[in-house]
Amino acid sequence: MESNAGATETRSNVTVSDGGEVAAFESLQFTDEIHRLISAPATDNASSFTALLELPATQVVELLHSPESVKLIVASAPNVEDFKGSFHFPSNTGLIKKDARFSVFSGEGNNKNDKSNSPEMTSKNSSANLEKAVKSEPAETASSLPLVSDPTVENRNIKRKDREKKVKGSTKKSKPATNESLEDAEKLPYVHVRARRGQATDSHSLAERARREKINARMKLLQELVPGCNKISGTALVLDEIINHVQSLQRQVEFLSMSLAAVNPRIDFNLDSSFTSESGSTMDGGNFPSLVTPLMWPDVQVNGYRQQFQHQWHFDTLKQPIWGREEVCNNYVTPENSLLSYDSSANSATLHANQLKMEL
Amino acid sequence: MMNTPQQVKNPSSSLKSRFITRFLGALTKINAEDPISSPSPTRIFQRYRRIKVASNKSMAYSVRSRRIWSRAMLSRFRSRRSAFSGRRSSVKTTNCTTINVTINENKTAKGGLDMQTDELRELVPGGEAMDVCNLLDETAHYIKCLTTQVQVMRKIVDFCHLSK
Repeated sequence: MESNAGATETRSNVTVSDGGEVAAFESLQFTDEIHRLISAPATDNASSFTALLELPATQVVELLHSPESVKLIVASAPNVEDFKGSFHFPSNTGLIKKDARFSVFSGEGNNKNDKSNSPEMTSKNSSANLEKAVKSEPAETASSLPLVSDPTVENRNIKRKDREKKVKGSTKKSKPATNESLEDAEKLPYVHVRARRGQATDSHSLAERARREKINARMKLLQELVPGCNKISGTALVLDEIINHVQSLQRQVEFLSMSLAAVNPRIDFNLDSSFTSESGSTMDGGNFPSLVTPLMWPDVQVNGYRQQFQHQWHFDTLKQPIWGREEVCNNYVTPENSLLSYDSSANSATLHANQLKMEL
Repeated sequence: MMNTPQQVKNPSSSLKSRFITRFLGALTKINAEDPISSPSPTRIFQRYRRIKVASNKSMAYSVRSRRIWSRAMLSRFRSRRSAFSGRRSSVKTTNCTTINVTINENKTAKGGLDMQTDELRELVPGGEAMDVCNLLDETAHYIKCLTTQVQVMRKIVDFCHLSK
């Protein structure tokens, strides 16, 4: 046991890049404490380490001794890179120093470089929770945002407990960061929950707490979206605001469609060629057709209306003095050609097209 | 659907531009079907309804099936269409209501906020069958899409007023 602990220590010593020796040294303490916890009789109380893990003690020890990372499940292809990162968390060390806390590592990786192998966002979620915990280390939190999970962490309920006081005050700090990582974490099949000091630790309330945290995170996002919601405190009022905002938006859509219906009759909307070209192209009106026609016509809804476009070109230009009379003769050709002629002939038309294009 | 590679991977084929394309296409179609300049209120009202549906439909199609609310909206449109031919729409609504009932019975978490979540469920399409967590998520995306919709429509209206 001791030799293995020593092995992990050397490994973490070697691989620590930031955080320095302190992190490595404290990670050594961590493994020692884990061993101590494991060797203690597992039947003491329901919330002991091994009972929490729902694993027999021997298996836990074996898992701990898997050199690559602290995993809860027998891993298939442990990734050394990710394990290197897992001990970079000074958060863990801070947590270890707390008394009578049972911490569970789920092999969070602090790998800044490679993001490819993270289909399981489980440890992303737990790292997100760790994120919330450790605002006292701003450097670490900033770097640990692009977390890559250990590719072999699997679906188990992992619970983490730590002291609340230090944690809570700092959760406010990097809200967008946590929200970002939490958003990714929302896709997880299971939940990482942190139980705070003095709170119940049975699975129901933990799951409940996780759920509440998720909901609060989303409420914060919504508060940012809805203007004027930031100052309001209290979920009910914020929800009222959100409901009002959605209703007002829907009513605005109705109102605008009504005004479009009233205004529309004379306007010809084949300017959508210029609208599609607004995506990225900075060309002037003369160059529109060449760029635009391949963009426009593949659109599924537009394609079906090709015939109608042709007719409408003809029909509308007869009625609309805006586009000029010279366009009438151009409308007996195919739509692509009509766009070409449209752009080249009527200057006022291109002017309007440009105008609307720029506005949109 | 024929998408040029330029359009699919292009970052500029944003939600906004997709919506613009579709909506303008729908508008031209509506303009084509209607005799131009018929200011009777009934015609205007019909146009209004069509334009509203076109706008929502364009937005839903621009989002495709990536969101629960867009899927619900699209299935609503399709069932409406099929309701003209056969009475299939009733089936879908009954499914939604049964799900709604079970969710109401199981709701225990935030007793005081049930009213608001219910209201939100009614507002967001497809909201009946979502749990609170997803509901908030969908609400956020729905708000974002609605603001885009309003923005684009307002600009079109302004443009129409300008060029009159």
